Amino acid sequence: MGLSNRLIDRKKSIGGHRDTVKKLSRSLLTLAAILVPCVLGVSGVNAQESGMSPVEFPYTGNRTAVWIVAQLHILFAAFILGAPIFVVISEWLGYRKQDPRYDRLAKEITKVTVILFSMTAVTGGLFIFVLLAAYPQFTTSFINQFYVVFAILYPALFIAETILMYAYLYTWDVWKGEKKGRHIALGLLLNLVCLLILFVINGPTSFMNTPPKAEGVSPQDFIAAATLWDKIANQSWFPLSLHRIDGNVAFGGFIAGMIAAYMYMGAKTQEERAYYDWMGFAAIWIAVGGSLLQPFTGLLLAYEMCDYDFSFCPYMMADQLSMFFEMQGVMIGLLFLAINYYSWLSLKRIEGADNVRITILAPIVLVVLLPVTMWVMNTYWIPDPMSLVFLLPLAVSPFLLGRFVPMTVSARTVIKIGFIVMLLSDAVWLTPAGFVATGTDMPDEMKLPEGWDYLASMPAKLSAILTLVFVTVVNFVLYNRTIKQGTILWGKIDFASQFVLIFLAFTSTWIMGLMGAVRSLLRKYFHTYSLVSDLGPESFTPTLSYSAGWITAITVVFIAVVSVAALVALRTSVARVRESEGSVVPIAAK
Amino acid sequence: MGNIFTKLGLGLVVGGVLVSIAHSQKLPFSFQLLFFIISLVGALVFMLLDARPLGTMSGGKPLLAVIAFWVFMLTVSVAGPSLLPQFDPEDEKAKIGKLLDKERKQSAQGKAEELIARAKALDEQVKALEARLKGLGGGQAATVTSAPPAGNKPSSTASASAGGDGDMMKVGEEQWQLQECYNCHKLRGEGGKKRGPELDNIGALLTVDEIQAKIADPKSFMAEGYEKEWQKGIMPNKFKDLMDPKEMQALAAWLGTFKNTSVNTPKPIKKN
Repeated sequence: MGLSNRLIDRKKSIGGHRDTVKKLSRSLLTLAAILVPCVLGVSGVNAQESGMSPVEFPYTGNRTAVWIVAQLHILFAAFILGAPIFVVISEWLGYRKQDPRYDRLAKEITKVTVILFSMTAVTGGLFIFVLLAAYPQFTTSFINQFYVVFAILYPALFIAETILMYAYLYTWDVWKGEKKGRHIALGLLLNLVCLLILFVINGPTSFMNTPPKAEGVSPQDFIAAATLWDKIANQSWFPLSLHRIDGNVAFGGFIAGMIAAYMYMGAKTQEERAYYDWMGFAAIWIAVGGSLLQPFTGLLLAYEMCDYDFSFCPYMMADQLSMFFEMQGVMIGLLFLAINYYSWLSLKRIEGADNVRITILAPIVLVVLLPVTMWVMNTYWIPDPMSLVFLLPLAVSPFLLGRFVPMTVSARTVIKIGFIVMLLSDAVWLTPAGFVATGTDMPDEMKLPEGWDYLASMPAKLSAILTLVFVTVVNFVLYNRTIKQGTILWGKIDFASQFVLIFLAFTSTWIMGLMGAVRSLLRKYFHTYSLVSDLGPESFTPTLSYSAGWITAITVVFIAVVSVAALVALRTSVARVRESEGSVVPIAAK
Repeated sequence: MGNIFTKLGLGLVVGGVLVSIAHSQKLPFSFQLLFFIISLVGALVFMLLDARPLGTMSGGKPLLAVIAFWVFMLTVSVAGPSLLPQFDPEDEKAKIGKLLDKERKQSAQGKAEELIARAKALDEQVKALEARLKGLGGGQAATVTSAPPAGNKPSSTASASAGGDGDMMKVGEEQWQLQECYNCHKLRGEGGKKRGPELDNIGALLTVDEIQAKIADPKSFMAEGYEKEWQKGIMPNKFKDLMDPKEMQALAAWLGTFKNTSVNTPKPIKKN
């Protein structure tokens, strides 16, 4: 059967569904047409009555209105999808180590998650309303494309998640002791549903960036004949999902760290301080676990997108969005510096930390890693496996060969060398081909001269990322060694560390907003790339300054809501602990 | 305070050395500034590492400190990005306007806007006629504006397409800009990042039809030395969907005029 026949057959087969979908879409549109102006109080009510004319949002414009609610919704959704992973890990650790602090941490974060669950639903509903109001034609056709997802799968999974989330919270005190395993299993089931939601909703999201296509068939014809699975399993679907999974874990951890910081600052007793000091520590290390994977899954996503359409690559790295990536470099550089600064402050309150030493190979590898990686990446660019032949032995040598080298260096010296290496890596990451908004018409006097231009290349950027990750891993190993050899004085951490925790939550949220904007802007003047044009007046790339203003505003709103939710959820539990006055944890404990 | 001055001094010295090296290597000023700022950040990091521990705050102090810290973070996160070079959306708006012009006119909203514009233009004409009639009655002459309705104004691309060779060249050059071919190909010494071949001599190596075939189907020809790029399909296979045949023909015809033999445009090899 020829392609054209197959296309016609498929068109016929989905024609029946379309009618149903049209009815559904019409109902949704009618509902939205009635509700949106009431809820938002915006102009253009009459325009909706005439059919599909968009509402015009004052002050922000339509695109920014969608941007605000979509970004807010994604932040809440990221937290409620990421926190359960974080929570179950914590609960399991508590069960395995028989340490009640982990259980308390898990329960407290679950309480916050339940409150934020309703915020996710509210912003999700608002997102649909605003989208329908701002882009009625596109939204209708988009619902048509993914009717099974929007009408059946997503609502069903969301309801399942709601039931499981509440069941998980309310069985906490019932399923304990011997029944704890059952409760952890329920948490795992909740996570399974959360992951399914993430994978399902990433289908339409990634479809907008990389709709499936085939050689010799027009994009419109191909999509008309494509199955739902073809549309979901598009080129950026899996990398986006991976990037969001580890991103959500990291994000959940950083937000939990900020909650711990607020509670630590407001603590009245040394016991409370000890507990919230520990909570910040545990949250950050779980977050770091996710953060270390983030650059790599992010690169995989960028790689797949560039592979889909190479014009994405210059648009991101060299053209309109190049300074967005400069800003990303600044923020991720600061994030890594802050993570390691927190571990430095944590280390300072460990008794006996001064005696901890490590093989001299560690600082040597730290110093040579950046230049060696740059050379290797320039010679054997990804996915050439030869790069691993050089880099893997170098990276693991301090851990494998260290015991055979008698010379050692103090942990503090190694950490300080690590900071210098991180600053150098940041410098490499932040060096662009030229400090101009678009690389296209860059004058020669603004460019990096020949011989230096390798600093602006992708191999150099990847080397900088690898080095930042490596330094953090070395610091983690050192920190663990120090914990084993010394005694942690919980509740005695430098008060400045609490500001670092707040900074980490802010920075990670801000980066999510920035990169979300970048991914969305990659569609250029399309709603769905190369398929559905955005005919509105705002289908252009906004300035970094404008974007940064909105990203900051969205971050503030999100963090303010989370902070209030945390206060509401945790104030009572703190009061209960105070009442029972049971010392949860000794002040000095290993 | 000793810690602060020592680290700051060290940061300034390192920054000064880096700036001197960068200056001697003729790195633009912005890079010199970047290296200097990173040196100062380094100094700040080491100040913090060796700073005395901050004692536990109590009462309302933590709240005030947190508010001040938030104000600082928000100011930096809004002001910082504004200091970087800003892309001017007006450049892109004009391009996108041209690219979407036809689609916008065909859309229901476009048609409605066109009708409104026509109605407005007719209204203007009626008002002008009324004024003229009044003027005739009162012995005064009035000028009638005879501007065509806005909706009838043809797009620059369409008008050029309908014109002769000169217009065709204009359309071709415009498509080069609109489709951002310069992002990958160097031409007249501008654009390109070695992602695609330099095209100044392409007219001597391919016919206009062959150039058009290459644009429509990037796999049809492979530039010598660009085997990897050809295999990976670096050149997007989307231009036949983004341009109409006339625009693509105009782009090919315009590129066909480039016959600068002093530029080493790689030889295209027919593949399909």
